[in-house]
Amino acid sequence: MASATASSVSFTSLSSSLKKNQVSHLKKVSVSFGGKSFKPVPLRFRVACAAKPETVEKVCEIVRKQLALPADSAITGESKFASLGADSLDTVEIVMGLEEEFEISVEEESAQSITTVQEAADMIEKLKE
Amino acid sequence: MALKLNLVNCQSQKYPSFALPQMASLRSPKFFMASTLRSNSKEVETLKKPFSPPREVHVQVTHSMPPQKIEIFKSLENWAEQNLLVHLKPVEKSWQPQDFLPDPASDGFHDQVKELRERAKEIPDDYFIALVGDMVTEEALPTYQTMLNTLDGVRDETGASLTPWAIWTRAWTAEENRHGDLLNKYLYLSGRVDMKQIEKTIQYLIGSGMDPRTENNPYLGFIYTSFQERATFISHGNTARLAKDHGDVKLAQICGTIASDEKRHETAYTKIVEKLFEIDPDGTVLAFSDMMRKKISMPAHLMYDGRDDNLFEHFSAVAQRLGVYTARDYADILEFLVGRWKVADLTGLSAEGQKAQDYVCGLPPRIRRLEERAQGRVKQAPIIPFSWIYDREVKL
Repeated sequence: MASATASSVSFTSLSSSLKKNQVSHLKKVSVSFGGKSFKPVPLRFRVACAAKPETVEKVCEIVRKQLALPADSAITGESKFASLGADSLDTVEIVMGLEEEFEISVEEESAQSITTVQEAADMIEKLKE
Repeated sequence: MALKLNLVNCQSQKYPSFALPQMASLRSPKFFMASTLRSNSKEVETLKKPFSPPREVHVQVTHSMPPQKIEIFKSLENWAEQNLLVHLKPVEKSWQPQDFLPDPASDGFHDQVKELRERAKEIPDDYFIALVGDMVTEEALPTYQTMLNTLDGVRDETGASLTPWAIWTRAWTAEENRHGDLLNKYLYLSGRVDMKQIEKTIQYLIGSGMDPRTENNPYLGFIYTSFQERATFISHGNTARLAKDHGDVKLAQICGTIASDEKRHETAYTKIVEKLFEIDPDGTVLAFSDMMRKKISMPAHLMYDGRDDNLFEHFSAVAQRLGVYTARDYADILEFLVGRWKVADLTGLSAEGQKAQDYVCGLPPRIRRLEERAQGRVKQAPIIPFSWIYDREVKL
């Protein structure tokens, strides 16, 4: 019953901004896309400064925990929350988890624009500057 | 499953997408107050041309209940006659709006009106915003009777069908009709509000309708109405309490009487769902989870007065601040229903059913936590005009 409505949600998130990966992230991206997903790998242009790998890793961990994903599941900077199975409530709780972990406070407008792990990590770096 | 996707009302192709300004952010209590999803999908969209009411833009799903389940409701007709109709009050024993209003046939009419207006003068504008919002919601009754008649297996096929379900729906509508009438007359006499703007709002709202995403499915439908009746019971109970605080005992009686009707209706609808849990626990828990994931949208979420594109959000914010209806209430209602239907004790569920059970049982604390965090933030609430009170300003 819910599947029809769920698909309409993910369509709108496809129009997210383009982001560029650092070289180190490209490696992770190619691993995660191997055989599992059919998503093309677009060029992504990072607008903010690059987030540290540890930050991205911590974000992945928080996302994994929130969505109760197995430890070996592929989550990278590219990963979209919605594609990982997060609904809107999960996304809010992820942001709350990030606030707690990184001791930051996220503006409501910023919170709404976060749709991927990378975006979250970038925002955290920006707030910690 | 015979799923028919109705794309007729899908607006997203025609109109440019835009970020809804000031729409309930996920982290404010408004997340659960306002209608449907905010961040991932623009479900309510205003047209580009000015002064148009909002409309639903989610894909409208129809007939999601497998047709063989319609049998269940046919077979429950005797049960409904014995157990559901008992919650209706005979007309001869029912209160009528006139019981609570100045009597036009009496010599004391003008004095009674004067007293009513004097009491109303002592009541602040923000209270009236909450009361008007509630009144507008009640006055959109045609939409709710329609909604009940969209449900497979229980709809009133002719408008005078004699199935217990149809009898219930008509009688329920008749009882609810008094609520809007009473509040309308009170507000009219009070002199505190701009009746024309309110009447306009009602005309827009009935024209807009609503899609609570019940998909012609009585499982979803009765879960939705259970939630709503309890919500209105709480809301009118709060306006009653506040009226008393402001020294208007008669208004408190008005709101309290309406609240007691809602309580009786809540008892009826929750009984139906209880029976569904007994007959089809897996299907019912899946339905419960589905409605909660989609979020219970408020019936008047498309309200519009020709001026304010975010009228419902503004009204909700006031209702939240006054404690008339809050995010906390949303969590409380959910928790109540989980307990009422003994969802945690269900056994023999499918894997999907267990997931649904876990989701629903785990949801109230998540909502509470969200709400606590939102409250903990220092927010500057804006002060904005409401056309319902001649553009006088009220703090959100």
